[in-house]
Amino acid sequence: MTATARERILAATRANHFEENPLPTVPQFTGDASVERFTEVLQSIGGQIVRIPVGQPLAEVVQQLFPAAGPVASPLLPATITIDEQTPTAVLDTVDVAVLGGIFGVAENGCIWLPEANMLHRALPLITQHLVLVLSQQNIVATMHQAYALVTDVGDYGMFIAGPSKTADIEQSLVIGAHGARSLTVLLTA
Amino acid sequence: MSHPKRAEVFTRDTERTTWHDETLWFVRQKRDKAVYAVPEFQELRELASQIKTHTLSRLADYLEQFEAQAKANGVHVHWAANAEEHNAIVLDIIRQEKASSIVKSKSMLTEECHLNPYLLRHGVEIVDTDLGERIVQLRQESPSHLVLPAIHLKKEDVGATFFKHLGTAEGEVDPQVLTEAARQHLRARFLTAEVAISGVNFAIAETGSIVVCTNEGNADLAVNLARVHIASMGIEKLIPRLSDLSVFTRLLARSATGQPATTYTSHFSRPAAGKELHIILVDNGRTQQLGRPDFRASLKCIRCGACMNTCPVYRRSGGHSYDFTVPGPIGAILSPNIDMRQHASLPFASTLCGSCTDVCPVKIDIHTQLYKWRQVIAAADEIPASKKWSMRLLSRVLARPGMYELGGKFARVGLRFVPHALTHAPGYNPWAIARELPEPPPQSFREWFKQTNPKP
Repeated sequence: MTATARERILAATRANHFEENPLPTVPQFTGDASVERFTEVLQSIGGQIVRIPVGQPLAEVVQQLFPAAGPVASPLLPATITIDEQTPTAVLDTVDVAVLGGIFGVAENGCIWLPEANMLHRALPLITQHLVLVLSQQNIVATMHQAYALVTDVGDYGMFIAGPSKTADIEQSLVIGAHGARSLTVLLTA
Repeated sequence: MSHPKRAEVFTRDTERTTWHDETLWFVRQKRDKAVYAVPEFQELRELASQIKTHTLSRLADYLEQFEAQAKANGVHVHWAANAEEHNAIVLDIIRQEKASSIVKSKSMLTEECHLNPYLLRHGVEIVDTDLGERIVQLRQESPSHLVLPAIHLKKEDVGATFFKHLGTAEGEVDPQVLTEAARQHLRARFLTAEVAISGVNFAIAETGSIVVCTNEGNADLAVNLARVHIASMGIEKLIPRLSDLSVFTRLLARSATGQPATTYTSHFSRPAAGKELHIILVDNGRTQQLGRPDFRASLKCIRCGACMNTCPVYRRSGGHSYDFTVPGPIGAILSPNIDMRQHASLPFASTLCGSCTDVCPVKIDIHTQLYKWRQVIAAADEIPASKKWSMRLLSRVLARPGMYELGGKFARVGLRFVPHALTHAPGYNPWAIARELPEPPPQSFREWFKQTNPKP
């Protein structure tokens, strides 16, 4: 049945093709790629940003930010819970803080690129109560044009994350912490 | 029931109508603020329009390219000519998986296909996980807006619904508390779901990937925990290149809510090890719309909802008054393609002010299409008799200057003597239901002109 649906749809689509309109070349619009701009936008969308002094271990920073943290998952510091692709859902659900490495940030909208290779498990950036992304301040670009110029291959799975999970579905009142992480902290390294 | 009749139900509550109007206008203002901060925004709109038009002009080629790439990525690709076929495919996948717990994130396409009621009839219950969609699902309503599904409700309504279904305290109306209750309630569903259904914002032909944009994170949480991910998409969601996303991600959230980007922009190319990704490509009237040169540009729509937020009619009549999956101006040009008779009143639910066209991020000529649908609908004799005959009479009068002059004279004199109850009788003058006729002037413009400019 679906094989014929395919043929029917393709035939009907092809029958309704019209004079070809050229595919435009998208200019590389650029803009402010400063740490200040990135910080300002990230804070405006509910994220917080912490600059890491050179030499301070990540574990120490995370300990200071989340002194009463439950299980901490991370490939970047001594974790208190081990997460990999095979981790059962019930275990994933216990993660309190996930500390993951972002590849680059986008100043115009606060997006941070997180490929699957840096997630431990695809659901971890969402299911953790609090998400911490480590980002080098050298790796900030101005706009999404520069962003997709860097992401020439999205891999099997990858996402831009801009701030904590949020909703305004009840009377347009902004509430942080809908289904994903309740907070997003960006640790900026030199 | 026609749009004016359903709108009348909504506008009975003046306070709520005013709130609805002002709230959506506030979203429009947030959109403006975000848009004006991007100097090249108008160029981006033009680029987005060109990319979409190009794609539509060669859609079959891009569909084939997308399918080949997705299959090479290990994705199951299905084709559905209509809603029934789509729903049957979903049910089949659920049955093969022997799944009993199914979650769904926001997808207007599954609303369009009436997937939930179909599955319920076959003994399968789906839980909607977008907060707004869950609220309307618990109330057995449909979304009233593309991106703000529960915008027709007040927090008191949501509080009452959650008290009944989620066990929150009676009278609890704090959005923070209500959202937390929904988080706990839905997390339990995420953890047990075997199948997760999502919509698709963009599909990339060159990589076979799909992109899903959410703020709540419900889509990613659901599909990354469940063993099977079903992504339903209309065939018009295609874009040629990955880099085209740079244009659309800059337009979508700014146009929708005034955010610089959605919180999560996820790219799915290949299912995780041991898991399955199914993509269903749905036609359901889209190829027919593609064959209507005057209306095919409506297929460029990226479902941001900006045209609703700005529409003076939508803001004051509410999404449910459209009685179509996609309400507002864009719904009014999509719906006649599906069923012109049923939705004949929608292209008339507009002032033709053109504000929808001005804010559309992909430059759909919405108000022009509204006007054109009116011609088509009138030619098909699908307009109410009162409108049809009054318009015919009016066109005859307007075509004859003598008759027009005489009619004006009669009206200026007559209106002074005819009782108000007669001139404003709602039975045959619906225009006067909420309006007063102006005081008739002593003379017409032509009389005045002749008087002040006597021929030399």
